[in-house]
Amino acid sequence: MATANPIDYLPIIIQFIVAIGFVIFGMIGSHLLGPKKHSKVKDDSFECGIEAQGNARLPFNVKYFLTAILFVLFDVEVIFMYPWAVNFRDNLGNGTWFWEMILFVVFLMLGFLYIIKKGALDWD
Amino acid sequence: MKAIIILSALGLATMFVGVYNFKKALLPMILLGLLAVIGINTMEWNTNIHYYNDMLYFDNWAVSFTNLILAVSILVFLLSGQYFKKNTDHLEDNYSIIIFTIIGAILMVSYSNLAMLFIGIETLSISLYILAGSKKTSLASNEASLKYFLMGSFATGFLLFGIVLLYGASGTFHLHGIKDYVIENHASLPTIFYVGILLMMVGLAFKISIVPFHFWTADVYEGSPTLITAFMATVVKIAGFAAFLRLFFTCFSSITEHFVPILCILAVLTMFLGNITAVYQNNFKRMLAFSSISHAGYMLLAIIALKESSFIAILLYTAAYSVATITAFAVLLMIKAAHQENDSIDTFNGLAKRSPFMAFTLTIAMLSLAGIPITGGFFAKYYLFANTISAGYTWLVVLAVFNSAIGVYYYFKVIIAAYFKEGSEEKLSIFPAYQLVLIITAIATLLLGILPGLITEMM
Repeated sequence: MATANPIDYLPIIIQFIVAIGFVIFGMIGSHLLGPKKHSKVKDDSFECGIEAQGNARLPFNVKYFLTAILFVLFDVEVIFMYPWAVNFRDNLGNGTWFWEMILFVVFLMLGFLYIIKKGALDWD
Repeated sequence: MKAIIILSALGLATMFVGVYNFKKALLPMILLGLLAVIGINTMEWNTNIHYYNDMLYFDNWAVSFTNLILAVSILVFLLSGQYFKKNTDHLEDNYSIIIFTIIGAILMVSYSNLAMLFIGIETLSISLYILAGSKKTSLASNEASLKYFLMGSFATGFLLFGIVLLYGASGTFHLHGIKDYVIENHASLPTIFYVGILLMMVGLAFKISIVPFHFWTADVYEGSPTLITAFMATVVKIAGFAAFLRLFFTCFSSITEHFVPILCILAVLTMFLGNITAVYQNNFKRMLAFSSISHAGYMLLAIIALKESSFIAILLYTAAYSVATITAFAVLLMIKAAHQENDSIDTFNGLAKRSPFMAFTLTIAMLSLAGIPITGGFFAKYYLFANTISAGYTWLVVLAVFNSAIGVYYYFKVIIAAYFKEGSEEKLSIFPAYQLVLIITAIATLLLGILPGLITEMM
């Protein structure tokens, strides 16, 4: 195969420069171009038109984090099913194609069973 | 390979046996499972199979390192029964994470593709970050976990950069592909390839705590639960060195002139810093941490020699070192179980009167670590040094022998504390499981010293 030289990676550096440049350009540009009218309402943080209440740095119940992590975990697992489903028809001849996903789902089920048994989903 | 599949099933089974409240069955099940895995793994001897498009390659080295890891893990599990007796809340989680750590270690000794090396190291490390913090209420344990995690993530970054650069230059992740690439382009390797080797070296050196990537070791060893420290000090070292040697021996053995000078400097620094710092430690766990750093320095000599026999040297050395280290931790755990004392070396004062058996096994372990004849440590050191001399690095061996002499000082400090210092007179009773572990390790240490041919002839 052809030897790769450091110069071949120049496009990556250029992409970095473009990415960083866009951020810097955007921040400086909006600062220079934007109107500068201050008032109490305008300086308020935007919260869908509803008046902001209290401080954002509140301690949350740790159960929210647990639920969020478990959601991400099981949500991400589904990503594996999309390419499998899309290619399903083409691979019908492949004997293990179907059972591989069954095995995967069984493992997923085991994980689900485990968190239920551990009481991770009990709110109280 | 079958070992990995069975261990994964065993880990899952452990989790479920735990949540369905058969906690009494956990330990026997795991011990039987590990013994079965050793048997099944041994059947792969001389088969040399490439699995999954050459992702894993189980040659005899992989099989023997896997067996060593499993044997050491069995010893750790034997100690765990009493250790977790008081607190069984998350017993099954601790156990299953230890089993998953073992899977990571096995991947590290059997990989044949850099992606598998990465997966192995991450499986091992992430499990260990959790285990290091498994004593949730202890501040030191939390600190150890966080420190290990932050530093380990950096090291992983280096390792990944290294893998990427090697891939960028050679266009393959397979060890044999990289080897062919090096041989073909021997004269005109691009700069990024050398930088890649260097970064891989940094990433791996962190895992085996080579100076100057050792700063995490003492704090993490001290803060982690003692049982986990025993596991970390042995299994991680075995897997780390096997991985290091496998990569460098397979891929880079024809361009040694480019990285061996760096390894020589690292080895000298590691030996001196490890030994000299260990002399000044009063905490036994910290002393063992620095002693593990100095042993990493000696073992680096095998990678510098970079020959087929380096594998035997590493196998013998890690075996002798692990067995002796497990003994030391077992005795420490036993004393702590009786007294709740601190980890200071003074806890060993008067041990010979309190329990002659434990003092005797501890002495054998310390002699082995110091490298005194008829123990395994002596022969392992002899083989390692002879191997290095025959590769032409006599000056390194001279420095290593000098360092072993420093080592004798602090290992004998423990023996002197046990035999000649006055301590509490109260007799120590010993748990049967601990007695079993101490008998096994003492016999193994002596056997490795008297009949090392059992291992060297086999290869």
